[in-house]
Amino acid sequence: MRNTLITFLALGFIFASCEFDKGFEEMNVNPNAAAQIGVGNKFAKTILDTSGGRYENWRNSFIYNSTLIQHHATLAGYWSGDKYYRVDSYATSLWDRNYPSAVKGIEDIIQQLKDEGNSGSEMGMARILRVFIYHRITDTHGDIPYSEAGKGYIDGTLKPKYDPQQDIYMDMLKELEEAVAQIGGSSTMGVSDVMFGGNTTKWKAWGNSMMLRLAMRMTKADAASAQAWAVKAISGGTMTSNDHIAMVRHTDGPGGINRNGHGEVFLVDSQARMSDTFGAHLAGDPRLSVLFEPGNDATTIVGMPNGRTGSDYTDQSGNTVAGIPNRHIYAQPNAALRGMDVPMVFQTYAEVEFLKAEAAIRGWTSGDAKTHYENGVKAAMMMLKDIYPASTAITAAEADAYLAGAGAYDASKGWEQCMNEYWKATYLNEYEAYANWRRTGYPTLTATKHPNSETSGQIMRRMIYPGGEASTNGESYSAAVARQGADTWMTRMWWDK
Amino acid sequence: MKTKFTRICTSILLFFALTLSAYAQQVSGTVSDENGVPLPGATVVVEGTSTGVSTDFDGNYSISASQGDTLVFSFVGYASQSVVVGSSATINVSLEPDNSLEEVVVTALGVKRNTKALGYSVTEVDGTELSANPSTNAINALQGKVAGVMVTGSAMGAKGSSRVVIRGTSSLTGNNQPLYVVDGITINNNNLGAAGVWGGTDFGDGISSINPDEVQSVSVLKGGAAAALYGSRASNGVIIITTKNGLGSEGLGIEINSTAQFDMLNNSLWDAQTTYGSGFNAQVPSSKEDALSEVYSAWGPKMDGQLVPHFDGISRPYVYTGDNQEKFYRTGTTFSNTVSLSTQGENGNTRFSFTNLDNDDISPNSTLDRNSVGLNTTQRFGDAITLDVNMKYILEEQGGNPRMSDAPSNSNYSLKLYAPSVDVNTMKGPNGDGSNEDGTEYRTTNGIYSQNPWFAAYNFVNDSEKERFIGSVNARWNLTDFLYLRGRVGTDRYDYHRTVSTPFGTAYQPLGSISEYKLSFKQLDADAFLGTDNLALTNDLSLTAFVGLGSNYVESESVSANGSQFIVPGLVSFGNTKNKSAGYGYSEKKINSAYGSAEFGFQDFAYLTLTARNDWFSTLSLAGKDAPNNDLYTSASLSVVLSDALDLGPDISFLKLRGGYSQVAGGADSPYSLNLTYGIVGQGHLGASLGQINGGRIPNTEITPFEKNETEFGVDLRMFDNKLSLDATFYDNETVGDIVGVSASATSGYGSALANLGEIANSGIELLLKVKPVVTDDFAMELSLNYTNNDSEVVATNDTGGNISLQEPRSRNLRVTHIVGERYGALFGTSFVRDGNGAIVHELVNGYPRPKIDNSRKILGFGVAPQQIGIGASFRYKSWDASVLVEGKSGGQIYSGTNATMMGTGAHKMTIPAGGREAGFVPSGVMEDGSPVTISIPHGQQSAYWGRYNDAAEAGIYDSDYMRLRQLRIGYNFPSDMLDGSFIQAASVSLIGKNLFFISNSVDNIDPESSYQAGNSAGLEWFGLAVPRTIGLNVNLKF
Repeated sequence: MRNTLITFLALGFIFASCEFDKGFEEMNVNPNAAAQIGVGNKFAKTILDTSGGRYENWRNSFIYNSTLIQHHATLAGYWSGDKYYRVDSYATSLWDRNYPSAVKGIEDIIQQLKDEGNSGSEMGMARILRVFIYHRITDTHGDIPYSEAGKGYIDGTLKPKYDPQQDIYMDMLKELEEAVAQIGGSSTMGVSDVMFGGNTTKWKAWGNSMMLRLAMRMTKADAASAQAWAVKAISGGTMTSNDHIAMVRHTDGPGGINRNGHGEVFLVDSQARMSDTFGAHLAGDPRLSVLFEPGNDATTIVGMPNGRTGSDYTDQSGNTVAGIPNRHIYAQPNAALRGMDVPMVFQTYAEVEFLKAEAAIRGWTSGDAKTHYENGVKAAMMMLKDIYPASTAITAAEADAYLAGAGAYDASKGWEQCMNEYWKATYLNEYEAYANWRRTGYPTLTATKHPNSETSGQIMRRMIYPGGEASTNGESYSAAVARQGADTWMTRMWWDK
Repeated sequence: MKTKFTRICTSILLFFALTLSAYAQQVSGTVSDENGVPLPGATVVVEGTSTGVSTDFDGNYSISASQGDTLVFSFVGYASQSVVVGSSATINVSLEPDNSLEEVVVTALGVKRNTKALGYSVTEVDGTELSANPSTNAINALQGKVAGVMVTGSAMGAKGSSRVVIRGTSSLTGNNQPLYVVDGITINNNNLGAAGVWGGTDFGDGISSINPDEVQSVSVLKGGAAAALYGSRASNGVIIITTKNGLGSEGLGIEINSTAQFDMLNNSLWDAQTTYGSGFNAQVPSSKEDALSEVYSAWGPKMDGQLVPHFDGISRPYVYTGDNQEKFYRTGTTFSNTVSLSTQGENGNTRFSFTNLDNDDISPNSTLDRNSVGLNTTQRFGDAITLDVNMKYILEEQGGNPRMSDAPSNSNYSLKLYAPSVDVNTMKGPNGDGSNEDGTEYRTTNGIYSQNPWFAAYNFVNDSEKERFIGSVNARWNLTDFLYLRGRVGTDRYDYHRTVSTPFGTAYQPLGSISEYKLSFKQLDADAFLGTDNLALTNDLSLTAFVGLGSNYVESESVSANGSQFIVPGLVSFGNTKNKSAGYGYSEKKINSAYGSAEFGFQDFAYLTLTARNDWFSTLSLAGKDAPNNDLYTSASLSVVLSDALDLGPDISFLKLRGGYSQVAGGADSPYSLNLTYGIVGQGHLGASLGQINGGRIPNTEITPFEKNETEFGVDLRMFDNKLSLDATFYDNETVGDIVGVSASATSGYGSALANLGEIANSGIELLLKVKPVVTDDFAMELSLNYTNNDSEVVATNDTGGNISLQEPRSRNLRVTHIVGERYGALFGTSFVRDGNGAIVHELVNGYPRPKIDNSRKILGFGVAPQQIGIGASFRYKSWDASVLVEGKSGGQIYSGTNATMMGTGAHKMTIPAGGREAGFVPSGVMEDGSPVTISIPHGQQSAYWGRYNDAAEAGIYDSDYMRLRQLRIGYNFPSDMLDGSFIQAASVSLIGKNLFFISNSVDNIDPESSYQAGNSAGLEWFGLAVPRTIGLNVNLKF
C-alpha cells in the first residue's frame, strides 16, 4: 500500500512537471516557407500573373474580345464572342484570375515597399503596374473593387466595395502622375523587371503613355479631363520609339507561368481564323501576310465571315446564313505569332502615336496629326520584328509604300483612319482593341445576328460580373449594379456612355 | 495550463488513493451447461487481462486471480458469464445457452468493457459480416448495418474512397470522417486524390488498405461519450477495428478463405432516348466536319437508316447502334485468397495470414492488386507480463484509375453523351486503343476537352503503388494484484508512389505531360496508462479506472517530379520531357495528451463513468501567441440495468437505461496555418526568381479546435427470452467554434479568412429492432431493422451569417452551400422563373418561347440524406444459411450533371415531346404576360430551348431516395460427419450477391450513389459510374 502510494505520488509529480508542449512552437514553423521575401521576386511573379495564363487569355481575350471586335472569326460554338452567346465563366475569367494573383501580388508589393520606407523608383514602377492591372479589369466590367481590393491580409477587408469607374480613372491618373514623378535614374529591380530590365527611363515613358491611354478613354464621358490629362501625359514624355514598347518577355516553359498565354491557346485551339472584316482592312497592307497565313486547306489568305457555323441557319432578320463546312480554307494567325515564347504586349509606341494624332485632331495639342499618324503606322509595321521572330520584319520601304497608297492619310477622315490603324496595331492586345472600339466606334463593325445571341444581335458592351459576387460580396455588388445599371452585357460603363 | 492539468491529475490520483488492498489466489471450479453437464474446452479469462485457461475434459479449471477480479466464462453457443472473485476459492458456473447479455465490447483506447456498464451506444459488428460479404474497401461492408452510421461509396467503383459519417457532420468545412483505430493505434485515412469541379482521379483512402478477411470485430463508438477518451480527435466518432488472433486454435490451425467476385455494369437505370441521331437543327451531319462537331448532339432527325458521314469521314447507316456503356465496360473480376496459420499454446497464441486480392475493374485497363501479410501474437511472460504484437504489411498497386467529373478524359462523359447513332466501337482507331498510328488521340470530336474513351482508358496513366506497415506493441504488466500498467507504441507508415501522365497527342495537351509523386507518411502513437479493474471499494461499490499519457506524432514528406512536353512520342518517362520541375513538401505535427477514466459500479446494476482528457497541439503553438494551445475534454455517462435492480416480470429479459454527456473536439489539425508565409515558386524566369504569398486563405493566429457537446439517452430492451430486442438512442449534439472560412470576395485577393465561428446542431434517433420468431435446432430466423434519422441545422456560419460555399459542379450554376437555419449542405443554385401557380415563365427569343432563368440562387435541395434504413433477414436451416440486406436512404437530393447535360445534348428522353420532335414542342408553362405558352417550337429550334432549360440548376435536381438490395448471401456448412475422416475440420461455401438491383430509385439515368467525391460536398454528380452489380462465390476451409 505504501509502495503504491509512493508510485502514484511519483507519477503525479512527473505529470505535473511535464511540459506537454515542449518544442511545439519550433515544430510549427514551416521549414519550406519564409516570413518575407525580396520584393523583386514578387515583382517578377506579379508581372507574369498580369500577362496571364492560358485560362483568361483564351476565354476573355480571345473567345470574347478578339471575336467581338472581329480580329478573329470562328465556327466553333464555344467561341461565344463571335455570335454573342452567353458564357458567364468566360466573361469573368480575367477578374477570376487577376484578383487572387496579380491584384493580391501588387497590393502586397506596395505594402512591403511602404513598410520598407521605399518612395523611389521601385514604388513608382509598382504603382504603374498596379494601374495597368486595374485598368484592364475596369475596362472589362465597369465599376470594380479598386481602392479596397487585394487587401484581405493587409487590413482585413474581405468584401471590398466597388468604386465608381470615374473615381477609379481619376485615382489611376493621379497614381500615374505621382509614380512617374518618384521614379529616379535607376532602380534595384534589375532582372526581376521582366518588362524593361529595370530601365527607369522606359518605365517613365510607359507611365506617361498609360496616362495618355486613360486620358483618351474619357473622351466621351469627360472631355475636359481627358484633354487636361492627355496634355499632361504628352508633355511628361511618352514612348518615343519601338524600343519603349511595354511587353512581357516569355519563354517556352519550363512552367505554364513562363509561357505566353495566347501561345498556350494556339497550341491546343485552332478555331481562330482571320475575320474577313480584318482581312478587308488589311488589303494592301504588308501586315496581311505577316500576321496571317493561309489555312491548311488553302494557298491564299482569305478571311472568314463572322457569325457562321458549320451548318446553315436562319438569323434574327430571317435571312439564311450559309454554313461553312471546313474552317481550314480560311487564314489563320501566322505561326510566327503563335509561339509560347513570344512577348505579351501591354502597350506600344504605335498606339501612343495614334492617340497623339487624335489629340492633335481634337486641337488639344499643336502636333501634326498626319505626322503622328504616319509615325504610328510605320512603328506598327516595324515593331513586329521587335516583338515576334525576325521573319515578321516589314521594311521601312514597305511601310512608306503603304502610306503612299492604301494607307495614305486623308485629313477628312483622319480620326477614323487613326482608330482603324489603332485597331490593327492592337491585334493580340485584345483588351485594348475592344476598349478602344467601344470608345470610338472604329472600325465600323457589322454585328452578327445568330438566334442564340444573348444581346439580340448587338456587339456586347461589357462583360458581366462573376455570379459569386452576389453571394460573397452582395452589398457591394448590389450598390454597383444600382449605380452603374443592370449587370448585363449591354449596360454601358461610365466612359462608354 | 499547467494548473488545470495538475488539478486533473490530482483528482485522478484520488481515485487510486481510495483503493483497498487485495491479494492473489488460485481459483478453481467446474464449468457446466444448463443441465449440469460439464463443458470441456470452455474459456476462463480474467477480465481486462490476457490471463486465460481452458477447462479440461471434465469441465474443470484452475486460474490465478485476485479478489475483485472478474472471471469471464465463455463457450461457443453459450452466453458468457462474468463472476467477480470473492473470498471463496471455488467458483462453479453453469452457462446458459446463447441468450445472455453479458457481452464484452471493445471501447475507447482498446479497453474491453461489459456492455451493461456502458452509458452510451456502441455497436459492435462481427468480423464475419465483413469477410462473408467482402468489399474491396472493407468499410463499405458496414453500409446499412449500423444505425447512425452512413457509409457512401464513390462513383469510381472498387477502388474508390468511402465517406463514413456518424451521427451527422460535426464540421462545416473540416474533416467529418471518423477516427480509425486498428489494434489500438490510430491509422491514417487520408484521401490520396479526389475529383473536383475540373475533374480528377480518386486514388482511394487509408481505410481501404485493411484486409476484410482479417477483421475480428469492428466497434463503432458513435457518440462523444463513447469517444471522449480520444479527445480532440473524437468529434466524428471512432471506429475501432480488432484483427484476428490465434485464440481458440488448438495445435496448428490452417484456414483458407477464397472469394471470386464478378462485377458488372449496372445500367438498369440508364434510359436515354434512342430515336433521334447525331445532328443539329433536325439535320443529319452533312460532312466529316459536321459529324465531329455533332458527335454529342442528338438533335438530328429520326434515325431512318440513311447513310450519313461520321467523325472519321466514313458514312454509316443512321440507326441506333446500341448502348455504348455496355460496349465499353467489361465484367470486372476480384479474386481474394487468404491463407492463415494459427496456434494457441499455454502462454500465448499466434496468427499469421497472407492475402492476395486481385481486381480487374469494370473500367477497361483499371486494376488493383493487394498483398497483405498479418502477424498477431500474444505471449505471456510469467504471471505478470503479457505482450501483444500486431503487424500488418500491405503492398497495394492500382493501375488505370479512371478520371471523374469534368469531361477531359472522363470516359463516362463521352460514353453517355454520344448520340444514339454513334458507335463507340468504331472509335478504337488503328491500334485498337483509341489512338492513331502515331500514338496521338484518335479524335472523335472537334472539342478538345472530351476524350475518346478508349484513348482515355488505355493511354492515360493513373497508376500508384503503396507499401504500408501498421504495427503495434502492447504490453501489460500486472504491478500488483489490483493495479496494472499498460504501455503501447504503434506506427502506421507508408511509402506511396504515383505516376500520372497525360499522353502525347491528347487533344487538349498535344505534347503531353507526366508527374511522378512520392509520399512518405509516418504516424507514431504512444500511450502509457496505469489502471485498476473492478476494484471493490465497498461491498456495493466497485471501481474500474485508469490514468494515462499519450502522444500522437504525424510526419509527411513528399517529392514530385513534373515534366511536360514529351520529346520522343510514346516514351512515357519524366526524362523524356522538355520542361521539368520538381516539388517538395514537408509537414509534422504532434498532440500530447493526459487522460483518465473512472467507472463506478453500484451493486452491479448502476454504473457511472467519468472521463477527462487534456490535449496539447503543436498546430496551435506559435511564438508570441495569446490563445491557449491546449484544451480539456470531459464526459460523464450513466447506465442503470433496471432488470437487475427491479423484478420486471418474466417477459422482460433485460432492460437498461443509459445517458451521457460529453465534450469533444476536432479541427485545427493543419500545421503551419497560423501565420502568413511566402514561397518561391516555379523555376524562375529569365534570371528572375519568382515568389508569392503562400495559400489563398488569410491566417488567424488565435484559432482553436472546435468543441462538440453531445447529450445522448438510450434504452436497451430485450423481451420474451431475447426473441425481441430493441435498442434505441436519442442524441443531440452541437458543434460550437467550428473553424470556418469567413466569406471573402475573391477581389480581396483571398478566398477566405479562418475564424472559430461556425455552429452546427444535429439531433437524431437510432433504432435497432431484432426479432427471432423461430429458433429451433434445425431452423432459426432473425429479422432486423435499423433506422437512422439525423436532423442537422447550420446554426451559425461566420461573422455575417453569410453563406459558406463548398464545391460546385462543372456547370457552375449551383454550389453546395451552408446557409444559416438550414440543413447541412444545401444545393444552392439557379432556378426557373415561375408564376404564382408554379408554372415556368417563358420569354420570346427569336420568336420562340424559352424558359426564363432566375440567376439569383435558391435552395434546391440538400445533398445529405437524413434517413437511412437497413432491413436484414437471416435464416439457418440445418447446414444452410442465408441472409439478405436491403438498404435505403431518403430525404436528400442530388444535382445530376449527367441528366442536366443530357437535356442540352438531346440525349434525355424528356427532350422528346409526346408527338415526337417533328410535331413541334409546346413547352408547358406561361408567357411573361401570364397567358399559357401556345407557340410550338419547330424541331430545328428545340435544341435552343433545352440549351436554355438546363441553365437552371433546378433542371438537374432530383430526390436521391433509393432502396437497393445491398447484400444477398446463401451459405452451406458441410456437416462435421461428412468431413469425418478427412483432414478438413470445417468447410463452408457461399454465394454472394451485392447491389443486384434497385427496389426503388428516384433519379433518371444515374445511380443516386454516384457522387464524384467523398468530401463534404455531398450531392454532386457529374458523369459518374453506377455501383456495379456483383456476384461472387466464397469458400472457407479449416484444417
